Amino acid sequence: MTSTLNQITLQHYLAVGGIMFVIGMIGFMTRRNLILMFLCTELMFQGVVINLVAFGAYHGNFAGQAFTIFVLVIAAAEASLALGLIVLLFRHKATLDADAWRELKG
Amino acid sequence: MQDLWIVQHSYLIPLLPLIAACIAGFFGARILKGQSHWPIWLGVGAIAVLSVALLFQTVGLLGHGAPPVRNSDSGTHAPVASATEHSDAKTVSAVYRAFTWIAAGDPKNAGTNEYFEVAAGFFFDPLTVTMLCVVCGIGFFITVFAAGYMKGESGYWRFFAYLGLFIFSMTCLVMGDNLIMLYLGWEGVGLCSYLLIGYYYEKPAAREAAKKAFLVNRIGDFGFGIGIMLAFAAFGTVSYFGADGYTPGAANGLLELAALPKMGMTEFQIQVLNWLPFLLMLGAFGKSAQFPLYVWLPDAMEGPTPVSALIHAATMVTAGVYMIARCGTLFVGNEAAMITVAFVGAFTALFAGSIALRQFDLKKVFAYSTVSQLGFMFVGVGVLAPVTGVFHLVTHAFFKALLFLSSGVVMHAMLGHLDMRKMSGLKAVMPKTRWLMLIGCLALAGVVPFAGFWSKDEIVASAWHASPLLGIVMLVTAFVTAYYTFRLYFRVFEGPKVVPDEPHPDHHGHGDDHGHDHHSHDAHHHHNHEPALMMIPLIVLAIGAVIAGLALWQGHRLGHFLGQSPSFVGAFELARDTYNAKADGAHMVNPVVFGQQEYRSESVVKAEHTSHYIFMAVSTLIALSGIGLAYSLHLKDRPKADRLALLLTGVARAMENKYWVDELYQAVIVEPLRRVGEIFFTLDKYFVDGLVWLAGFVPQLGGFVLKLTLQRGYVQGYALSMALGIAIILLVVFL
Repeated sequence: MTSTLNQITLQHYLAVGGIMFVIGMIGFMTRRNLILMFLCTELMFQGVVINLVAFGAYHGNFAGQAFTIFVLVIAAAEASLALGLIVLLFRHKATLDADAWRELKG
Repeated sequence: MQDLWIVQHSYLIPLLPLIAACIAGFFGARILKGQSHWPIWLGVGAIAVLSVALLFQTVGLLGHGAPPVRNSDSGTHAPVASATEHSDAKTVSAVYRAFTWIAAGDPKNAGTNEYFEVAAGFFFDPLTVTMLCVVCGIGFFITVFAAGYMKGESGYWRFFAYLGLFIFSMTCLVMGDNLIMLYLGWEGVGLCSYLLIGYYYEKPAAREAAKKAFLVNRIGDFGFGIGIMLAFAAFGTVSYFGADGYTPGAANGLLELAALPKMGMTEFQIQVLNWLPFLLMLGAFGKSAQFPLYVWLPDAMEGPTPVSALIHAATMVTAGVYMIARCGTLFVGNEAAMITVAFVGAFTALFAGSIALRQFDLKKVFAYSTVSQLGFMFVGVGVLAPVTGVFHLVTHAFFKALLFLSSGVVMHAMLGHLDMRKMSGLKAVMPKTRWLMLIGCLALAGVVPFAGFWSKDEIVASAWHASPLLGIVMLVTAFVTAYYTFRLYFRVFEGPKVVPDEPHPDHHGHGDDHGHDHHSHDAHHHHNHEPALMMIPLIVLAIGAVIAGLALWQGHRLGHFLGQSPSFVGAFELARDTYNAKADGAHMVNPVVFGQQEYRSESVVKAEHTSHYIFMAVSTLIALSGIGLAYSLHLKDRPKADRLALLLTGVARAMENKYWVDELYQAVIVEPLRRVGEIFFTLDKYFVDGLVWLAGFVPQLGGFVLKLTLQRGYVQGYALSMALGIAIILLVVFL
C-alpha cells in the first residue's frame, strides 16, 4: 500500500489542477447562467491554486502556499465584484441568461 | 586690361540692375508706384556709363602690332599664314572671378571631369565690351522710353522690376567666363521674357504667348544643356579660357582645349566635338528664333512694345549669335555644323521675310523681320565670318529698337490699333515719328549710308564668297526686306489720312487721367502723341541707325576691335588650320572677317576692294528696287496691291497664315502630347489613385471581417477566443 501511495508524484497533482482548470474553462464557455459561469471561473482559480501548492511542496518551501493565500484573497474580492455586477445586470434584463446580452455585438 | 578699375569691380555690372529690380519689386507696389522707374534708371544708367567707359578704355588698350612673319606673296590669291604658324596675334582680355559658385568633387582632380568647378566669373574682351554696350546702352534708352510709354499702367512697378531682372540676366550672359554663367543668363532672360510677355496676364492670348515662348525656348535649352554636360564630360572644364584668363599658347579652358590638334584627343573627345556644335546650335536656334523654333517670337508681340524692342529685337534674341561667336572654336572645326548654321539662317531669313510680306499688324511685320535679320546674323557666323555677324547684331539693335519703339508711339496715338489697314497718312499726325521711322526703315532696307547697309552688305559678300547659292538667297531676302519695310512705311505714313475712331478693345486706359471722352474724339485731338520722354530715346537710336554702320565699317574699325578677342583669334586659327589645307585659292578662310587683318596679303586687299564695291552697288540696287516696288504697290496705286494679292491668292494666303506652321505644330506635336497627357491623367486618377484607395480599403475590410466573426456580443465566444489565442501563442513559442 505504501508503495502505491509513493507513486503519487508532482505530475499527478499538476494533472488534477490542470483537469480542474480545463473543466472550469469548458464550463465557463458552455454555461448560460451568469452565476454558474462565475462558479466555473472560481473553479479555474482553484485549479491554479492546486498547482501552486503542488509546486510549493515539490520545492519544499512555502512560496506556493503564500501565493495561494494571495490568490484566495483576490478570488474573494472578485467574487464580491462579480456578484455585484450580476445583480446589476439582472436588474436590467430580469434574467440570468448570458445570451440576453448578445446585442452588445460589433 | 586686368588692371582696369571697371574690370576689378565688374561685379557691379550685374549687381546694380539686380538691386534696382529688387527695390522696384519689393517697394514698387505700395511705395514707389508711378516712380518705380527711378531705381531702374539709376541702375541701368550707371552700368551703361560703365560699359561705355570700358569701351573707351579697351579701345585705348588695343595694340597695332607689326604683322607676324609670313611667306612672301607670290601673286596668288592665297591669304598667308602657314598652317603651322604660332599665334602672335595680339589680344586684349581679362578675367574677374567674384567667388566660387559650384565646386563639386575632389579638387585634386581639377581639370578632369571628376571635379566640377564653376566660378561666378566674368570674362572681358572686345566682344564682351561690344555686347555690354549694346545691352546696357540700348537697354537704358529703352527704359527711358518705357517710363513714358507705360505711364499710368497698373503693375508699372512689375514691369520695371522685370526689366531690371532682365538686364541682370543679360549682363551675366554676355560677361560670363564659363558656359554655366552663360546658361544662367540664358535661362534668366528666358524667364524674364516669359514674365514680360505675360505682363498683360489678364489677356488669354498674352498668357498663351508667354507659355509658348518659354516652352519653345526650353526645347533649345535642352539641347544646349546636354551640350554643356558633354563638353564637361569630354574636357573636364566649362570655363572658356581657364581660371587665369587667356594666355596665348596655353590650353586651360574649354575653348582652347577644343582647338588642339585632333591627334592628341581621345576618341570620346573627338566624338563629342562632332556633336557639340549641333547641340549648342539647338539652343541658339531656340533663343534666336530660327527655323523651326521661331514660332514664339511673333506671338511674343503680345507683350508691351518696349519689351518687344529690348528683348525681342536688340538683346535677348542676339544671345544665340553671341554664343556662336564666343564659342567659335567649338563650331568652326566642324564643317557640317557651319553649313547647317548658315543654311538654317538663310532659309529662316527668306522664310520669315516672305511671311512679313503679308502681315498687317505693325509689330508682327517687325517680329518676322527680326527673325529674318537674325537669319542674316547666323549666315554671317556660319560662313566663317563672325565679325559680320556681330556687326549686323550691333546695327540691327539700333534700327530694330528704333522701329519697334516708333511702332509703340504709333500704337499709342492710334488708341491701341496696330493694323496697317486701319491707318494711313500719319505723317500729318505725327511728323517727328514719321522721320524717325523713315530712318529706321531705310536702315533696315539697307540703303546707303544708313547702318543696315554696311553690315548686311558684308554678310551678303561673305555668303557669296562661301557659296553663290547662299549669296543669291541673301540677295533675294534683302529685296524682300526692303519691300515689306517700305510697304509698311508707305501704308502707314504716306497717302491719304485715315485714323481709327474707336480705341482698340485691348487698349489700356492711359487716357483716363486726361478727363475727356475717348470715343467721340478723332485721334487728332488727343493728347500729345510724342512726349519728350518717348522721343529722346528714339532720336538717340536714330542717330545710331544713321552713323553706326559707317562708323564701324570704315577702316575695318569693328573688325580690328573684335579681332583682338581671344575667341576670334582662336576661331580664325582653327578655321585656317582646318580648311586652308583642303581649299583652293578662292576659298581660303578670309582673315578679315575674323578681324585678323594683319594676315592678309597685298593682292588680296586689292581684290577685296573691287568685289566689295561690286557688292555694294548690287545691294543698293536691290534695296532701291524693293523700295520702288513697294512705292508702286502701296503708295502710287494701292488697289493694284489688292488685285495682285487676288491674283496670287493661294500664295498670299499662305504667307498671311504664316504657312500654317503654328497649326502644323499644334496638330503634330501639341495635340498628341496633350492626348498622352490626358491618358496619363486618367491612368493616374484610376490606377494610381486606385492603388492608394486599395491600401486604405484593406484594413477597413479586415476590420469588418473581424467585427462579423469575433465580436458577436457572446461572452463565451470572447472567452473562447482568448483561450485559442493563448494556445496559439504557446504553441508558437514552445514549438
